[in-house]
Amino acid sequence: MKLWSISLRNLRIRMVATVLTMLSIVVATALYAGILVMAEQTEQRYKGSIGGYQAVVGPKDASQLELVLNTIFNVGEAPALFPLQICTDLRSGKLATRRSQVRYAIPQARGDSVSRFNFPVVATIDEMFSKYEWNKAPLQFAQGGPFQYSYDDLLKLADGLALYENAKRAGELEPPPRPLLQKEWKKAVIGSRVARTLQLGIGDVIVPVHGKQGEFGYHEHPEAACEVTGILAPTNSPLDTTIFLPIGVHLLIGGHEGGAFLVQIPPGKTPDDAKTLPVSASHIGLTAVLVDPKDYFGARILRQEFSSRDAQVAWPQDVVPKFLQQIGNAADALTVIAWLVLLVASISITVAIYNTMNERRREIAIMRSLGARRLQILTIITGEAALLSFFGALLGVVVCHLAALLLQSTIEDQTGVYLDWLQFGLWELWLVLGVTAVGALAGLMPAVKGSMTQVADNLAQNY
Amino acid sequence: MIRLRSVKKSYRQGATSVLACAVDQLDIAKAEQVALVGRSGTGKTTLLHMLAGILRPDSGEVEVVGQRLDQMGESARDRHRGRHIGMVYQTFNLLQPFTALENVLLGALFGRGAGGDAKHRAAELLSKVGLGDRLHHRPSEMSVGQVQRVAICRALINDPELILMDEPLGNQDRSTGGQVLDLLLQMASDGGKTVVMVTHDPESATRMQRTVDLATLRGVEVVA
Repeated sequence: MKLWSISLRNLRIRMVATVLTMLSIVVATALYAGILVMAEQTEQRYKGSIGGYQAVVGPKDASQLELVLNTIFNVGEAPALFPLQICTDLRSGKLATRRSQVRYAIPQARGDSVSRFNFPVVATIDEMFSKYEWNKAPLQFAQGGPFQYSYDDLLKLADGLALYENAKRAGELEPPPRPLLQKEWKKAVIGSRVARTLQLGIGDVIVPVHGKQGEFGYHEHPEAACEVTGILAPTNSPLDTTIFLPIGVHLLIGGHEGGAFLVQIPPGKTPDDAKTLPVSASHIGLTAVLVDPKDYFGARILRQEFSSRDAQVAWPQDVVPKFLQQIGNAADALTVIAWLVLLVASISITVAIYNTMNERRREIAIMRSLGARRLQILTIITGEAALLSFFGALLGVVVCHLAALLLQSTIEDQTGVYLDWLQFGLWELWLVLGVTAVGALAGLMPAVKGSMTQVADNLAQNY
Repeated sequence: MIRLRSVKKSYRQGATSVLACAVDQLDIAKAEQVALVGRSGTGKTTLLHMLAGILRPDSGEVEVVGQRLDQMGESARDRHRGRHIGMVYQTFNLLQPFTALENVLLGALFGRGAGGDAKHRAAELLSKVGLGDRLHHRPSEMSVGQVQRVAICRALINDPELILMDEPLGNQDRSTGGQVLDLLLQMASDGGKTVVMVTHDPESATRMQRTVDLATLRGVEVVA
């Protein structure tokens, strides 16, 4: 028999009070752990998805944060479009390539999604799977492989579309045929979570949709149904929830062709007038270009050259830490609330145990008469508070992780952060020990009162 | 074993001080079995508590098992009590949430320690007093006689040199109580232990080797 077993027995005797008091500790710890789990995994997720001098080129009238969040983390809508020419310049050497500074420039166009889970569709080219790097390595496939759609295919399609669109706008009686959606383009690469959630395998078909289910303007694009050719290996990053299609499919989706071109509206003209103005293949609209300067100097050149262009360059490694700091500030505020809840819970421990002291005077006197020192009585009562807090904190951490499991999908949809509910940190051990220490401290006041119990006076009582 | 000289203990009742116990001189030898008798209010329980080190005298010398309790701090007296003294109370003072075995082990925990073979010793003691099949019963699930035997086992678990009893038969019929008392005295005698029992019951007192009337201790040297 040990002192802690007496503490444990005392808690069991007052089971209802113990459970109620423990509940407050569970809530406080779960809240605190939840905030930290969310903050930690957000940071890991965001920091893990950026590396080197990787940059995002996007439209000028969007914020850099908006651009990075949408392009890298699938959060929010694509802010605007900018011309394909920028991407061509980056690839051909007119921009930032004076010393062959850019390793790749991969165009992207977004706007559609798949299924009620709104997995975002990213229209791009095959270099996304051969040149783009995630975590310092090209994207790995769990099954299948990439689709084939090159930048040259894109340029050729842009030319064909421009020719057709210009003839149509000029009112030609026999315009050249509109480029057709080729069967070999209708292929898709999907992220691991998309495959898991929608139970898709190689050869299955996905149908992009526009808008959100139940919202105005929602419609399916059955003409752009694509066959899955590859499933990416899990990365625990936004890539897991992304669907990649050839950008040609995106441009030829019914209704996209007219708005695919960016047209400068001259002074005095209306947007309706713009519909009749000639278009250029180089003005196909993109939502982003993923660029990877080779080194710091390449990054600097890129920054300087974009200061006077129609597009801007955003640096995830600049933007993300600032963003995380903002999240951190919010997390700090929530942490204060969690500490306040813990403080209230600690007070409830003090009150709960203190209120039992009168009825326990005889029990304490008996133990003292058997030779128990005041310090041992103090230890037993403090031990009750500590054990109560320990089990409450342990349960709180478990509740936090279960909540992470239950809210996984919702949180990912809302924030782009995939919560790994099985990821435990060393800090959680410290949290449990910390809460236990706070609880023990809360038990100190009743413990002191208990240890001061007069032995002779209380031994005489009958019950 | 026990040596008291000019001991006085008073209690405060409001502004006045009430003398609860006064003993000029009392000596009890090792292995002696002594009954302390006296009218109500003569300070029998107070004296017992001073012998246990629960109370400290206002003045005088209290020497128990070779230690001057009047000169020791509270913590040292607690330790001394746990290791050298076993106590049996009129109300038995068992802890209700604990089983018979655990109640006995509590005595060990606060005495010489509940590690090692303490559990085995506790079970053996309980079996010796006929409670081998009641080890895991709580006090509320046992008869008064059984509860008293558990209390005796708890007093003996640390193999103390001195056993102090406060009206141990107060709550039960003479036949059962007498048997249990005889059992305790036999066990104490076998182990060469000193026993001091406070009692109102003249029949119980006759079972002891010596009877001391507390009223005669004030100013009178008492020798059996």
